Amino acid sequence: MGQFIFRRTLYAIATLFILSLTIFTVVRLTGDPVTLMAEPGAQEADLELVRAEWGLNQPLPVQYAAFVKNIITGKLGQSFNYEMPVSTLYFQRLPNSLELALAATLISFVIGIPAGIISAVRVNSAWDHVGKTIALLGLSVPGFWLGLVMILVFSVWLEWLPTSGQGGWRNLVMPAVALGWYFAASLLRLTRSSMLEVLRSEYIKLARLKGLPAFAVIALHAFKNALIPVLTLAGINLVVMLNAAVIIEVIFAWPGIGRLLYEGIFQRDFPLVQGVVMEAGIMIVLINLLVDVLYAYIDPRIRLTR
Amino acid sequence: MQRNDPNRTALGRRHVLAGSAAALAGITTATGARAAPVVPQGKLTLAWHTNIAARWLDPQQHDGTASPDNFLMALHDGLIKNYRSELYDHPALAERFEFAEDSKSATFWLRAGTRFHDGTPVTPADVKWSYGHYRGAWGEVLRERTQEVELVDDKTVRFHFKEPFLDFPILLGTGNVCGAGWVVPAKYYQQVGQAGFLQKPVGAGPYRLVSQEPGVRIELEAFADYYRPVHIKQFTIVSVPEAATRVAMLERGEADIIYFVPGELIDRVKSNPKLRLAPVVSGNWWLEFPGFQNPSNPFHDKRVRHAISLTVDRDAINDAECGGMGVVDGNWINNDVEYGIEWPKWPRDVAKAKQLMAEAGFPNGFNVDWVTPAPNYYSRGERIVSQLQAIGIRSRLQVMERGVFLKKMQGGMREWPGTQIIFNATRIGGTWSNWYDSMFKCGGFNSKDFFCIKDLDDKFTKYLASYDRNERKQLAEEIQKSILDEYYFVPVFRHAFVNAIGPRLAMQKWQDVFPTITTGYAYPWEELKLA
Repeated sequence: MGQFIFRRTLYAIATLFILSLTIFTVVRLTGDPVTLMAEPGAQEADLELVRAEWGLNQPLPVQYAAFVKNIITGKLGQSFNYEMPVSTLYFQRLPNSLELALAATLISFVIGIPAGIISAVRVNSAWDHVGKTIALLGLSVPGFWLGLVMILVFSVWLEWLPTSGQGGWRNLVMPAVALGWYFAASLLRLTRSSMLEVLRSEYIKLARLKGLPAFAVIALHAFKNALIPVLTLAGINLVVMLNAAVIIEVIFAWPGIGRLLYEGIFQRDFPLVQGVVMEAGIMIVLINLLVDVLYAYIDPRIRLTR
Repeated sequence: MQRNDPNRTALGRRHVLAGSAAALAGITTATGARAAPVVPQGKLTLAWHTNIAARWLDPQQHDGTASPDNFLMALHDGLIKNYRSELYDHPALAERFEFAEDSKSATFWLRAGTRFHDGTPVTPADVKWSYGHYRGAWGEVLRERTQEVELVDDKTVRFHFKEPFLDFPILLGTGNVCGAGWVVPAKYYQQVGQAGFLQKPVGAGPYRLVSQEPGVRIELEAFADYYRPVHIKQFTIVSVPEAATRVAMLERGEADIIYFVPGELIDRVKSNPKLRLAPVVSGNWWLEFPGFQNPSNPFHDKRVRHAISLTVDRDAINDAECGGMGVVDGNWINNDVEYGIEWPKWPRDVAKAKQLMAEAGFPNGFNVDWVTPAPNYYSRGERIVSQLQAIGIRSRLQVMERGVFLKKMQGGMREWPGTQIIFNATRIGGTWSNWYDSMFKCGGFNSKDFFCIKDLDDKFTKYLASYDRNERKQLAEEIQKSILDEYYFVPVFRHAFVNAIGPRLAMQKWQDVFPTITTGYAYPWEELKLA
């Protein structure tokens, strides 16, 4: 087991190394941030001064080493735009994103899982068709469009909900629905297929043959086992919602991490973009590592075969 | 606001006009009385159209663009400043100032009893420190030109210059150009440092900071000790990047002022009788032809450039892009800067344009590699591509991200090979020379080696060296006239930076909230009242 954890940890570190190298390179391909930081009439000498101030005149390996050092120390560098440590900005916005992501997850659960179960239990019925339609719409209707339509209907026409910003629960409803809608569809599809697979298994047939009520078969036997991949997906979805709800956060002026990333990209704020992407990467890698270890703990075959 | 957004106002740092024998400004007198018995009430919410950069809260880091102006006018105050029709010389923290006849010194008398938000008095020492430590746009030039800042007494400060410094008052008093004249509390600034100041800025403006979420929201409150009455108690600036959301906020009464209503949403605001549009006429747009001096370039022939001018339907572009609220003018330089000349509206005559094309040897037109509009106004470029087909000019639209566009502009001709049209735009404050210097001159920040008309550059050098105001004016007019007569640039229109105002603000006309002189933003904040 120890060897397995060690091996998986090495994979995780290698993944983060590749991610750090990729994001470091990619942000620099987008152009020189100094052109956005100096005034239009600035001379080359002025631009050089700004480059020197932010260490952008250093050779790339030196800049990369500084970036890695910042990750290791947890500071993630100093934002060009805000002149604050990226980690401070990130953790200021994290609770807001967490609030939104949890609400969206709840909505995706409330819609996706029951609808998925019903679709599977009543396969090829009208219920199933409704479920599949919901899934199709969820995956095909863009979140930004849904968000704007909801603002128009629920804020401007009906005047039920505030248009944007963070405040009470009423501010949370529309961004959470717009964000959770897509993930509800993916959960619905996975729950349906997972349930269908479980419902066809031998032990479910046995449970039925034993005369257990249908509800007990579905709720106690089938759903419990079908839930494992669904929860795994939900965990990953939560991390994605936490870090990458860029468009929804911009539309609803929600002060979360996605919007922080948008601001960083907009201003070509290298440390900010790098920091946010690395934080997201670290979260995903850690969750995957944790899941791998848990799987290996539960099922010894995994640690022997991998 | 974006770097190349024509709503941004900026002065190039490169040149400062040399002084002249003529005095620029006389003595101005104090106009503001101590705070009248006004009790600030209510709440004002402004929906800002981009994210909020922290440096905009610190005049010491003024980036030479229009965006900081919106925040400086609320949090801070200058010795003198732009105020409605007064371009730069409205007395603010200084109750009066005197610019010497020889333009080699300027004296400012501070208003008695003015305080910073932390309760400390505004002193000449603060003025000197703010000026001396200023490191934003134009800072280098100011340092080079300034010999000494003298503290005359406890309310008087005098700036001495090494040579006549004719542009000093314009620089000091134009809030969207330079922040050196905007006074910060020296002791506090040194105590908390630059980063600390950005988190908790303390100024002497009509509003003091209550709290901020960096980049997202700023909560301000009327400053009781401000020397003019402040009418609204709470002032919130919230960043809302999505235009449709901003309009919805205005419709719902969640915001009282919103900046930047794009063309597709203008009708929605227009159709709501409770809302009012504020179309601030802003930056100029023009066509330019990098490398036209090369004889093999089809734009080398003046008749081709003239034909393009005759073909462009300026009114149609203004209607489609700005709901007709821009201005179809004749010059590519705004007429609200020093020596910017008026020029009549250009005619449209496609038949004559075709004839000129034929005379120039292009009866069937020619191919243009790219038409590149200034980001992010891509639809304007599409209109040019479409309209030029009328005279056989076949082109493709090139869409560039803002940073890429700026980088390519600074790369000069090597970045723009072949036959190119750039649909460029800017808004630069102060004086016409900053437009020429940045946008046309050989080696200019945005012009590089695109044009290089030696005769005009020589005249511009002469202009810069001259201290004779009449001669400077004449040279300025000659240069601008030549650019227009020769169609080196083909001006298209001045676009409107369209804002909107909700029903809760008291006003007779939208100009009460958006005075439009030198800035596209609402101000003076202390004068805004709720209905």
